[in-house]
Amino acid sequence: MKNFTVKGFLNQFISVQAGKKVVDDAKTGEIRDKRVSIQERIGNGIKNFDLKKTIDVFLNGRPHEERRLGDLYIGNTGLYKHREWRGFKDTMYYFNMIWLYNYGHMVMDIFKGDEPLAFFKGVWRYRWMGQTYLSVMHWFDRGLEGLRGEALKASAWHYRAMVSETIRQFMRMFAADKKLHLGMENEYWKKTIAHDETVSGNIFYPWRDVLDDVPLQMIPYFVSCHVNNKTVLNYIDAMQSIGLPADPCPMCQAESGLFVEDDYPDYSPVMVTSNEACDGSVATSIITDWFLDRPLFAMPQPMRFDDPLVQKHCQEEIEECWKFIEKEMGVPFDFEQYKKYAESFNKLTEFEHEKWDVAANTPYYPINGVAQALYRIYYSQDGDREIWHETDAHVKKILDKCVKNKIETFPKTRHRAIAWSCAPLYYSNWCTWAYNCWGINTIINMDSLMFDQMLRTDTYEHALEDLATFNELAPMRSMAVGGHEHIFQLWDYMERFNCDMVIMYDQLQCKGMQGIKGMFEDEFRKRNIHAIWVPHALPDKRTVSRREIRSIINDYMTTVMQEEPLDPTLLDFDDSESW
Amino acid sequence: MKKFIIGLLKVLGLTYVILFIVFYFDLDGKFLYYIWEPNIVTRYDKMKKKDNTKTPYEKKENVMPDSEVEKRTFN
Repeated sequence: MKNFTVKGFLNQFISVQAGKKVVDDAKTGEIRDKRVSIQERIGNGIKNFDLKKTIDVFLNGRPHEERRLGDLYIGNTGLYKHREWRGFKDTMYYFNMIWLYNYGHMVMDIFKGDEPLAFFKGVWRYRWMGQTYLSVMHWFDRGLEGLRGEALKASAWHYRAMVSETIRQFMRMFAADKKLHLGMENEYWKKTIAHDETVSGNIFYPWRDVLDDVPLQMIPYFVSCHVNNKTVLNYIDAMQSIGLPADPCPMCQAESGLFVEDDYPDYSPVMVTSNEACDGSVATSIITDWFLDRPLFAMPQPMRFDDPLVQKHCQEEIEECWKFIEKEMGVPFDFEQYKKYAESFNKLTEFEHEKWDVAANTPYYPINGVAQALYRIYYSQDGDREIWHETDAHVKKILDKCVKNKIETFPKTRHRAIAWSCAPLYYSNWCTWAYNCWGINTIINMDSLMFDQMLRTDTYEHALEDLATFNELAPMRSMAVGGHEHIFQLWDYMERFNCDMVIMYDQLQCKGMQGIKGMFEDEFRKRNIHAIWVPHALPDKRTVSRREIRSIINDYMTTVMQEEPLDPTLLDFDDSESW
Repeated sequence: MKKFIIGLLKVLGLTYVILFIVFYFDLDGKFLYYIWEPNIVTRYDKMKKKDNTKTPYEKKENVMPDSEVEKRTFN
């Protein structure tokens, strides 16, 4: 409460500026004009009132072309004048089964955590927590905008799972965090393994029943960018303030900035790092080593992973990592535990294949682009957790229903798009916008297609071999910087998923992908593929704004495709200050 | 008892309606955006934190046995 000022609070609450504006408007006659305009609108409304249509809108919502979703936004805030009326059934579903259900379950998840009260301490202590995660329902709103029926339900289940797992992770971090416990090392601290977000959770299965493993940056950095993209800017700036130039990958900048800002929870006696699957960020391990100052095992993923010698090296690295954990945590390696969790994880992969089959070959796939992308990368990186199985069970019911009843979940689809390379974290919901505005339906994306393998568990040797491959196919490494033959797998996937358009992400600060841009352009021309380049700077919205991204897609759709928007109110709007 | 149940139902019904109003008019978002976020951010901006750049950076002990390190060192 030390920083709380009554004046500041009242300024926010009573909004003195707003009061002044009302007085000014009254003087200039603006209020009178507004009143006349409202009277006219009401008059016209009464004159043109159509009972049948009103009932239809109440029951079914407006047809896609009449929704005018862009009119719902308040200025540049991204807030809604009111949330969308989706028809009675879908609005009540959203209210009861998404909004209320998730708020309720968030509270339950917090109280299920290892130390519920630590939640409040965490909110009070960490910027990424207090500024970001309380606004999580708006993350749902942005991603699920315009969705109806089964697509709304299935996509929302994916969001629910991500929220639940996020809460589990930060509650474990807070329970173990020395900073929240007066510098004391409690039992949770002694039994938690910290690792980079790009070190697969699968590596730690041999200890899952005894120890917990939590990626250090997943919640403070990665997920936070999607939920509230303002928070991360502090960490990027903090890193640059100690001398880092602005052009390295902003992901590594932000992750390192967490240390500079002293905004990382201290929840583990050890750390396992990677090269963040991109050799541009090898230095992140060094910075982590400096700031964390504790036993650290660096396990970089190799660049050219096709080489069998590299495979052998990667296996040795994993074994060394296991020895490191045994030694530092004092808990022996247990292959039976590894088998149990790896086999359980395989079930998630099996269902993912089933989903892909429906997405590729039918118009009945009920998961939108952003839900597909985020859920898949989250669980495949995180490893086996109960919540993913629960979610898949819900989604399977919906998927089966859609296929059985031939429900076209995205009926306004004009183009089936594949999104390739690394996506803008601050605008992962661009695909929701693209469908609502242009009918561009993002069927699949590169991040979803990584980790496409089963983990054998019949022998230790097979298990290690598969785990090494899995580790090599880390995010970004597998296709984006793993050699041009892998990046060009795009053409095969386009065909497999029956896509007619590519949304080609162009991460402006990724030196790996920048090097191959020209080759892609040549191939697009040669193959006569409609491709839209979407420049961005991963978590940093200041380099290419969301509005600019929309404008690039709009330009392509009007000039090259010569199409009309489905919802013209979404063509251009200002959301520069939104979450 | 009957009176209690009716009273309870009334309270629950009213709560449900209020929550729907909060939901429909995005009042949760407006509260977090206009009131919560600016105030909590002010707190974080003013918070005194440890200067981690003062952490000494020196050669650490190897986490692998010396024999392993030797095997992997290029001369």
